[in-house]
Amino acid sequence: MKFDVEKSLLWTAAGAFILFAIGAVMTTVVPPMVDKTLWTSEYPVHEYTEQELRGIAIYKSQGCVYCHTQQVRKLDSDQRRYGWRLVKAPPSESWEYVNDKTHFLGTKRTGPDLGRVGGKYSSEWHWAHFKDPRNMGEKFPDRKGIYEKASIMPSFAYLSDEEIKDLTAYIQTLGRNQNWRTDENGNPLNDYEK
Amino acid sequence: MKQDTAAKTMVIASTLYFGLALTMGLLTALKFVVPTVGEIEYLSLPRVRMLHTNINLFGWLLQANMGVLFWILPRILHTKLFSEKLGVAMGVLYNIAVIGGLVSIVLGYVKNVEYGEIPPPFDYLVALCWVMFGINVIGTIAIRKVKYLYVTVWYTLGAVIWTTFVYITGNMFSQMPMVAGVNQANLIWFYVHNAVGLIFTPLGVAIAYYLIPKQLDTPIYSHKLSMIGFWVISFVYVWTGAHHMLHGPVSHWLQTVAIIFSFSLIIPVMAVITNFFGTFATAPRHTRMVGPIPKLLMMGTVYYIFTCLQGPFQAIRSVNEIVSKTDWVVGHAHMALFGAFSYYAMAGIYYVVPKLVGRKLYSEKLGDLQFWIMTLASIPFFAVLWISGVVQGYAWLNPENTFVETLAAIKHAHWMRFATGGLIYISYFLFLYNVLQTLFGKYADEAQPATPVADQGN
Repeated sequence: MKFDVEKSLLWTAAGAFILFAIGAVMTTVVPPMVDKTLWTSEYPVHEYTEQELRGIAIYKSQGCVYCHTQQVRKLDSDQRRYGWRLVKAPPSESWEYVNDKTHFLGTKRTGPDLGRVGGKYSSEWHWAHFKDPRNMGEKFPDRKGIYEKASIMPSFAYLSDEEIKDLTAYIQTLGRNQNWRTDENGNPLNDYEK
Repeated sequence: MKQDTAAKTMVIASTLYFGLALTMGLLTALKFVVPTVGEIEYLSLPRVRMLHTNINLFGWLLQANMGVLFWILPRILHTKLFSEKLGVAMGVLYNIAVIGGLVSIVLGYVKNVEYGEIPPPFDYLVALCWVMFGINVIGTIAIRKVKYLYVTVWYTLGAVIWTTFVYITGNMFSQMPMVAGVNQANLIWFYVHNAVGLIFTPLGVAIAYYLIPKQLDTPIYSHKLSMIGFWVISFVYVWTGAHHMLHGPVSHWLQTVAIIFSFSLIIPVMAVITNFFGTFATAPRHTRMVGPIPKLLMMGTVYYIFTCLQGPFQAIRSVNEIVSKTDWVVGHAHMALFGAFSYYAMAGIYYVVPKLVGRKLYSEKLGDLQFWIMTLASIPFFAVLWISGVVQGYAWLNPENTFVETLAAIKHAHWMRFATGGLIYISYFLFLYNVLQTLFGKYADEAQPATPVADQGN
């Protein structure tokens, strides 16, 4: 197999580039061409308000993505765990993310997935949770029993109230592109449904 | 400018960054068990984690690889580095980019690119430094005085070419306005996995391909096998980006393509492993394991096998369903970047530093001690992360287990990780002391500093 390539810088470089380029094009340029739902959507997708955009900026700079993912996977366990009152959460679809200029799909679940968390907890709950995740005051008593102490969520008390409100506004939009939480006769469940 | 100045500056800077990166790692591990430590914005857990990854990847590993290769390339091409001034200029610019990037991360100006949080303008500066590195590498190869290019040159050349496209895709194209949502996620994970596979793997393997034969004074096991390994990795590796989104919202065929190629990654890895073990096997038995360098190279190769067997298997859909998003992946990432490539980089520094100052390594005994503490501490470090990953994965299958209960169940693993990480952290200082003493220190039995001492402390 000894031919000139071994002696020539040009052939090695060209060969390495061409072989790389095949895979590179096939996995970066081709997917959006073949699969329109990666960047277009035929269903209505939530347009972020000014406040929610500020919330996204805080979510990014505080690095929430390193402990929380935002994708309910096409797995029964994911759908049941992140559902609501025995209603299984629909798996996240790529069209739901088309308005996300900064995606937060994430790779690690130190904390629970937030893909469908919008509307499940009241905004007051989120405010108390950001302020001190391990002691949320008398309004939200020890909600998970002895395990609350095991939570390692950092406290974001250093954020101003305004920033926490923006962050919560963003979090309440997560997963609401599909209207999946409806009561028995089909009308949608509103926020913080008890 | 004196030869090897660029190599020397980068080797020293990278050794210092390694300490800073390990400090951030230890702080992150501590926050996993005691979350109320350091509750200020600049030391919040995600920020410290971003610092840990970026200092490790750019400050330590990439810079150490570049520095060691600046020393190796002229030796195997029988020529001088193309331009020493360009090399030193790149070193300075690169360190400005890394420090600027870290300060921006501490302040919270980050990109949402994992392993690429350094914001503009510093990521553009890193790209510029990479072009300067490419000029130096290609220039040195162009003025070579040898007929055949050894595999180290191939892999370095490949890394230069691939990194340019991988880095730009992940850090520049992914931030363009019309790239959003899952499309952006795909570009970013193209960068994330190819950063490990087409930047650090070729550079690390290039260094090992030079060090193992030279250190053991034995020819490489099979030149043809090394060519097979190179050509297969340049074709196969690039497809695997989407295995970060298995079962996720990306097109199904792309996931299947990523799985198939993640699995076929075993081929280039086996080519590299056979070559390294083959060289070790044919080396003279009584001298091949003397001193820290061969130990680091051997252990790095062993870790390289484990992590490159773990990777393909965790890319299979059914395995991925359990271990994805858990501590298992953290174990995989650490074994590749710390276990395999940081070991190779440390072996490279232990090899190059004595030659930079023309005297023996300060203390081989100290090097051995550092190796043994680091290895005996990192084995439980990886094992405990894998175990807690499996525990998490199976616990999540049953919705009755609340999320916080699972976290409480793996508290022991996080304590163990913090403890073994602490041991690794301590043994880093032995490495630092050994390297700095070799560079600048006074040797006990040295009459005048210039002449290398015959027998020294082993």
